[in-house]
Amino acid sequence: MNPNEFDVIIIGGGITGAGTQRDCAMRGLRTLLIERSDIATGATGRNHGLLHSGARYAVNDPESAAECIRENMTLRRIASHCIDECDGLFITLPEDDLGYQQTFVSACQQAGINAEIIDPDLARRLEPSVNPTLIGAVKVPDCSVDPFRLCAANMLDAKLRGGQVRLHTEVTGFIREGNTLKGVHTVQRQSGETADYYAPLIVNAGGIWGQHIAELAGVRIGMFPAKGSLLIFAHRVNNRVINRCRKPANADILVPGDTVCVIGTTSTRIPFEECDNVAVTPDEVTMLITEGAKLAPSLLSTRILRAYAGVRPLVSADDDPSGRNISRGIVCLDHEERDGLKGLITITGGKLTSYRLMAEIATDAVCRKLGVEKACETAVTPLPGSEERSYEEVAQRIWESPTTAQKAAASRMGTRASRIRSGDRHDEALICECEEVSVGEINAAIDRLDVSTLTDLRRRTRVGMGPCQGEFCACRAAGLLAKAHGCIEKERNDIAQFMQERWKGNFPIGWGDTLREAEYTQWVYKHVLGL
Amino acid sequence: MRYDTVIIGGGLAGLAAGISLQKEGRSCAIVSTGQNALHFFSGTFESIQEPDQRILDLFNGAGIHVHYKKGVRLMPLGSFRESGLSLEDVSLFPTPKIGRKVLIVNFTGYHDFFSAFLAEGLEKQGMECRIRFLNLPEFANFSAMRSVQIARKMDIAWEKVVQEVRLLIKDEDTVVLPQVFGLRETAVVSRIRQGIPAQVVFAGTMPPSVPGIRTQMQLKQRFEVLGGTYLMGDRVLKAHVHDGVVHSIVTKNLDQHYLEADSFILATGGFFSKGLKSNPFQVSEPIFGLDVEYALDRNQWYNPSFAADQPYMAYGVKTDAQLKALRQGESLKNLYAIGSILGQSHPELGSGAGLAIRSAFAAADDILSTPSV
Amino acid sequence: MMKPQEFTESRHNFEECTKCTVCTAYCPVLQVNPLYPGPKQAGPDGERLRLKDPYFFNYALKYCLNCKRCEVACPSEVNVADLIQSARIRYDKSPTKLRDRILASTDLMGTLARPVAPIVNGVTSLGITKTAMDAFLKIDRQRTFPTYSMQSFEHWLHRRRKEQAAFPEQVAYFHGCYVNYNYPQLGKDLVKVLNALGVGVQLLEKEKCCGIALITNGLSAQATRQARHNVAALGKAVDAGLKVVTTSSTCTLTLRDEYPGVLQVDNSAVRDSILMATRFIFEKLEKGATLRFRPDFHKKIAYHTPCHLEKLGWGIFSERLLRMIPGVEFVMLDSACCGIAGTYGFKKENYQASQEIGAALFDQIKAVNPDLVACDCETCKWQIEMSTGYPVANPISILAEALE
Repeated sequence: MNPNEFDVIIIGGGITGAGTQRDCAMRGLRTLLIERSDIATGATGRNHGLLHSGARYAVNDPESAAECIRENMTLRRIASHCIDECDGLFITLPEDDLGYQQTFVSACQQAGINAEIIDPDLARRLEPSVNPTLIGAVKVPDCSVDPFRLCAANMLDAKLRGGQVRLHTEVTGFIREGNTLKGVHTVQRQSGETADYYAPLIVNAGGIWGQHIAELAGVRIGMFPAKGSLLIFAHRVNNRVINRCRKPANADILVPGDTVCVIGTTSTRIPFEECDNVAVTPDEVTMLITEGAKLAPSLLSTRILRAYAGVRPLVSADDDPSGRNISRGIVCLDHEERDGLKGLITITGGKLTSYRLMAEIATDAVCRKLGVEKACETAVTPLPGSEERSYEEVAQRIWESPTTAQKAAASRMGTRASRIRSGDRHDEALICECEEVSVGEINAAIDRLDVSTLTDLRRRTRVGMGPCQGEFCACRAAGLLAKAHGCIEKERNDIAQFMQERWKGNFPIGWGDTLREAEYTQWVYKHVLGL
Repeated sequence: MRYDTVIIGGGLAGLAAGISLQKEGRSCAIVSTGQNALHFFSGTFESIQEPDQRILDLFNGAGIHVHYKKGVRLMPLGSFRESGLSLEDVSLFPTPKIGRKVLIVNFTGYHDFFSAFLAEGLEKQGMECRIRFLNLPEFANFSAMRSVQIARKMDIAWEKVVQEVRLLIKDEDTVVLPQVFGLRETAVVSRIRQGIPAQVVFAGTMPPSVPGIRTQMQLKQRFEVLGGTYLMGDRVLKAHVHDGVVHSIVTKNLDQHYLEADSFILATGGFFSKGLKSNPFQVSEPIFGLDVEYALDRNQWYNPSFAADQPYMAYGVKTDAQLKALRQGESLKNLYAIGSILGQSHPELGSGAGLAIRSAFAAADDILSTPSV
Repeated sequence: MMKPQEFTESRHNFEECTKCTVCTAYCPVLQVNPLYPGPKQAGPDGERLRLKDPYFFNYALKYCLNCKRCEVACPSEVNVADLIQSARIRYDKSPTKLRDRILASTDLMGTLARPVAPIVNGVTSLGITKTAMDAFLKIDRQRTFPTYSMQSFEHWLHRRRKEQAAFPEQVAYFHGCYVNYNYPQLGKDLVKVLNALGVGVQLLEKEKCCGIALITNGLSAQATRQARHNVAALGKAVDAGLKVVTTSSTCTLTLRDEYPGVLQVDNSAVRDSILMATRFIFEKLEKGATLRFRPDFHKKIAYHTPCHLEKLGWGIFSERLLRMIPGVEFVMLDSACCGIAGTYGFKKENYQASQEIGAALFDQIKAVNPDLVACDCETCKWQIEMSTGYPVANPISILAEALE
């Protein structure tokens, strides 16, 4: 058997690709996932991290709403270590129409979402950060989700089931025979090595870049990139998601996520050329803060950690090439039926919350083509790490009296935290002090989670995501990576790239304590370390 | 309380000014909001190449051993930089060739000293390197291996390192060790050098910097021995200024007990140490409301490249030629600004440590040129 | 609601931390106790995690001495120790041990012990008692318990209230438990010095223990009650136009800064009127008052700045006063924690750490070989006397002795 032959090749290491790989692997297929960068570098990792209850869509898109609440409940079971079951509020402010609340609640109930009108006083007690002038509040089962962790867990499960993953590997073209795709040409972007991989079916899960992949195969998808900008605050201001109870608009969702909270988003159509390099503008920053403060006034006096932007892959309906009629639903294109091109399926549209369903739909299509009959089990089988729901119990079981770093590791890794080597006190030493990430946890990530750069490591462990933004941990972690990979020269460049990537998100909000921190970081890296 | 001069800011600039004045019999108080940038000191005084006698006297007077030689110094990640006036910890070389064969000694579990990067950097220059780790019982109950904690133990147990390194050396002519020696026991640095039968090179670590803290302690002690008053952990809240003359300042700890003086020196540093304050719309100087040189358009504060020079780091307060600070275009008659709060408004004074010391001397000279009341 | 022009800087003190790590270089505990995560981790870093989930609270925060040296060193003015003590109050739900209750209840113990002081003093100094306390209460047997006085200071001053009221200027004195029950002589010395300046001394209407030992032993509810009581009592004196002087740096810091910073008790009406007696006296002398000293007073005095005085930033007043006495050879000791930190060092589990922390200071004192060590804190006094054998006196007592 040729080691480069698979049953299915998935292009794209976002949540859709990772979920599809897991589903395919669970149905017994030999899978290969190819990602030109790292996991979750597109829309997957550049959003609020909101696991929708569906309430936001209830009024305008009941179908999506119903889909969301089903998936929301499913993911709580199978991805518990990636999800914070924090609940959400939809608040009505004095300038909003309180009449909308009833429309909203009925729509939610229609969609099967447990939306409950609560007294504004109770809302203020449940969520002390909420704008105290609110005149109405509805409680909904929103959650927050760590998309990096979710993506890594899906991919890990696929690997545990024999799947293979090639990160930092770009598809440069398709191998085709007549109207049938047989495989892909790839290049490893770090080493420059090229390789061909073969499979009877290829799934295009490239998000906004899926358009380009389709073009490589000679087919067209009508996608429209829309930039969304968000701000991360340096600590958790709120412990419940706060939304505005009105027609969806800019900067009207504040989501608590791990040690931070995120306000967003904006929505601006951008040309395709800008997709790889979106930046947040000062005007967007001002708008996000001003609007965000209407949800939680204390955002105005909270340190902003970063600004970032993502690109939403909007797909126009096939019968409307103008893009005016955008579907936010799941789009699965069988290019054999649609374009007469065998061996390619595109899965796109949808949202983070519905990734599992997207993967199921794509995998069903794959299985139909390959004649595989095994049913989908992703809705019932927990992801690795999610076998137990409470990280407190996990930490207590593994360590008896866990340190803060061990508790934090359990909250990030779930049951997989048991794989952290302990016993040697040096493994317990902290690398990232802000987020409490130990040597052991980093080594566990390097061992199993396809880490090649510091930025990859950050997505899997939160190293460098805290207030110091890599100032202290980047070099320490680089030392561990250098030891694991044996390439110092590469690691030195890696530090520079990592700090550049951190700075990119810092300077748009560079004032106050953030600027103080930035000046200190400049001093340390340029004058003390001599980078 | 009344002094001849009150200095706001107790870093290198403030201490250099205080020592200069106190030495001439002027009574000084330094008010310092916590510790300062000397804690993040590389060991080399930036922008001081050929030191003049006055600079050497400043350090020698405080018992600080400094040296200068044209050439390069080894940086913590294995690169080389131009040399400058340096502490004795820092070895200076004519070229990046620091030896023939090099033994780099690290401690087990110590992630703030980058032995692998150093080895790679030295190998690139054609040297053969070997890295060895020491696992000393002295560190057995540390919760984390951090430079200052190690240094405190090393003040007592430095001989252990000498013994262990002697056992490790084979045919190496050079040994590289982390800068974790001589925190309080300043002689330890030279004792290590004497005890190891090879050239010893100390390479920097993640901050806080052990040689930096030592330098801060020595300068502060010198200032105090000369009779100066160092008020640590206090912050200046406001100043009383009438007709362009600063009369007194109010601090957080001393509240109604004002500090009065004939002259005042502002040495509060840049953004990090809150010498300058910023919000999305402006950069300001918080104590006196001095005029600050900066770009009005916030987009121009930054260079999107981390590696590039950052415009905001050049911002500073405006002064006249005597370093008297300007407020609404007029210089305050007895307030001097020195050190990094000047930004890059006086390029002739250099940057970093050079700017700190030269501007401190200039302000002190101007103060001394007027007789004490 | 704030306008966008007003979003200037974070108003969360812990967010001012730039992670520069300077605090860790000055933490005395980090150096000797591997279980303690250090001020940065326990303070601003830990705060972010605790805000995510109280589960991330770390019980090892109890090893913090509350010496505040992290705060003095912090270039960013982060109230590191306040963050740690506040987190203990908010999240530490473990019951307080009997031993800690006993150690924390300084005024209750004083009230009970005073009438039978000779017996108590005799008993607590017995080897068998020490062994028993060591075994059952985990109070280290090597500690010497402070002795109790038969007559309380309050009683002594109350009997002299008329004579004190005759002075043209008046101050109120927050004497604290130590002066009241263990060492009234310090209070008498203060009265002597202030009287020499023409100032009469009054008691507060009824003072209670400042509560610091309650705070550090996890009894914050009681500490808060006492704080409210004291703020009211101080308020009466301040309303009557009096300054309130103290002779203990720890009581002073507690009354001024721990009440609002840790216990959230508003003391803004009285805070600025609470002064160490050394500052009060210095300010009087600065304004022209004079003290006349004995010509035959000759002593080499080594001055130790207690941690809480360092935090107050008022060591300078004690230094200036001592230097003012002719015949005093003054030596300033390096500012370092002596290791006792109130009740901390009495606990068996902390004894060794406590002595290791103070070792450098003890060595320096022995090297200086003074006639007397001066220091404004009663627990430092016990620690230094026990560990070095040199006598320790409050600067006020030294002034009193040197007066003509």
